[in-house]
Amino acid sequence: MSHPLQIDKLVKRFGGLVATDNLSFTVEQGQSVGLIGPNGAGKTTVFAQIMGEHRQTSGSIRLYGKDIGAASTPERIRLGVSRTYQVPRPFAEMTVLENIRVGQMPNNLWQMIRRKPQHEKEVELALSVGFLPSDLGKTPGELSMGDLRKLEMARTMATGTSVMLLDEVFAGLTVAEIAQIASLIQQMRKDGMTFLIVSHDLKALEPLVDKVIAINYGARIAEGTFAEVMNNADVRSSYLGAA
Amino acid sequence: MGLRWYHFALWAAFIAIMVAIPEFVSKGTLRIIIFANFLAIFAISWDVLSGRTGYISFGHPFLIGIGAYTSAILTKRFDVPIEWAIPAAVVMTMIGGIIVFLPALRIKGSYFALVTLAFMELTYQLVQVIRPDLTGGTRGMSGVQTLTRGALNGYYLSASLMVTIALSMWLLMRTQLGTALSAIGMNEESVRGSGLSTTKLKLFAFLTSAFVAGLGGAFYVHYLGSIAPRALFDINFLFTIIVAALIGGASTIIGPVIGAFFLTFLLEYLRPYLPGAERYFIYGLIALLLYMYEPKGIIELLRKGWHRLFSRHSVETPS
Repeated sequence: MSHPLQIDKLVKRFGGLVATDNLSFTVEQGQSVGLIGPNGAGKTTVFAQIMGEHRQTSGSIRLYGKDIGAASTPERIRLGVSRTYQVPRPFAEMTVLENIRVGQMPNNLWQMIRRKPQHEKEVELALSVGFLPSDLGKTPGELSMGDLRKLEMARTMATGTSVMLLDEVFAGLTVAEIAQIASLIQQMRKDGMTFLIVSHDLKALEPLVDKVIAINYGARIAEGTFAEVMNNADVRSSYLGAA
Repeated sequence: MGLRWYHFALWAAFIAIMVAIPEFVSKGTLRIIIFANFLAIFAISWDVLSGRTGYISFGHPFLIGIGAYTSAILTKRFDVPIEWAIPAAVVMTMIGGIIVFLPALRIKGSYFALVTLAFMELTYQLVQVIRPDLTGGTRGMSGVQTLTRGALNGYYLSASLMVTIALSMWLLMRTQLGTALSAIGMNEESVRGSGLSTTKLKLFAFLTSAFVAGLGGAFYVHYLGSIAPRALFDINFLFTIIVAALIGGASTIIGPVIGAFFLTFLLEYLRPYLPGAERYFIYGLIALLLYMYEPKGIIELLRKGWHRLFSRHSVETPS
């Protein structure tokens, strides 16, 4: 069986800078993988290439065995991979439900005109990420950072994704919000979602991942369980800057 | 689409008022309202594109001009029957819409607005030098075939065109497609990130906007019976369209209609007191005050008023 996400010898150069350096890894069905590394290691660039926001210089990205190197971002999303952003990007003048609605829409103009919004499904998604019924009519301006993250996850789930890329999901959250998001991720793992998670908050990341990949200067320096990677000498020196 | 009783009631009232107007006003006022009807059509066209997607078009006279010139040239120079000339003009305008769409693939914001402004200026220069035997050059064209005689017929034609366009655009924008177009205006990357092709959506918005502009432009030239490039490709005309849409309430379809009527009557009623360009000072001041205190336009003021009246019965606000 083909893996949900398979990255092979991925290289991305920005002029002279090598942002992704011959990176290969695989995410298996239902697995949750942490992608870690110091600032500027190239984690977000990997996300951007998986989503087609940047095109790789060479190497391949396969989604369920299909090479998606030439697909546009919306096409990749319909194939089942979606991401959230470090800084949430909601639709500022829409309610929580309307934000989720955009994720649910069919990518076909005629269907958009003909089909009514699936109200029940929108509500179900909103409640499943932890919104209260009283939140559904609120606009993003009235929401906390934690709620904005939940909203992004709900809109991402609404696209019908089966592989979720989470970029710094815990950044800027309170301790209580981190706990909420973490339990949400745990619940989604039980439901069979495949994850690739970037986080600086290693303590919060630890219980959420089956495997960790550490990168520095765009290249993989370690891969294994959380404990193995944390004890790796290269990883320690890249984070602490000491040999 | 979530239609409610008051939507039907408001539309019925709107149509009833439009039908009844000629009974109550003079021929002169009727001619003013005809202009307001056309301005409303142009403002709706602008709103479908710029009010929704945030791609601010400074080139709407370019699109309206294509519609007007195509139909005028076909009927006057080639004796094409008017019922063929107008559809042809609409198709030409939609091709023009694709031309305006192309820069929107790469640029946005003020850069996009300036490129569209260039389209308008360019067309103004071009109609004067390229085939002046067809376009009439700087002097434009007169003696273009008209569809109606007299203010009353002109009124009914323009009013039914305006109401039809307003109603169909309003219904269209209430679908999920309208929501998606608004979403582009708020955050285009997130729309792509939701799996929707923004190129397809934007192309649709440009084509729909051009369709309405072409229809309005063609009917306008066959109402006036003449075309003057200096008045058409004019920055004041452009700003009247944009201000009508904004003052009434952008992204609402009905707002631009209200804005067009408000603006037309404001300028007309000030005429006896301020015959010169000073009127524009008052008009600017009112626009400024409105944006400061109610940036969502007149329609939002009406909505709040309605809400205050009926809030005991209904938590929903009409939209």
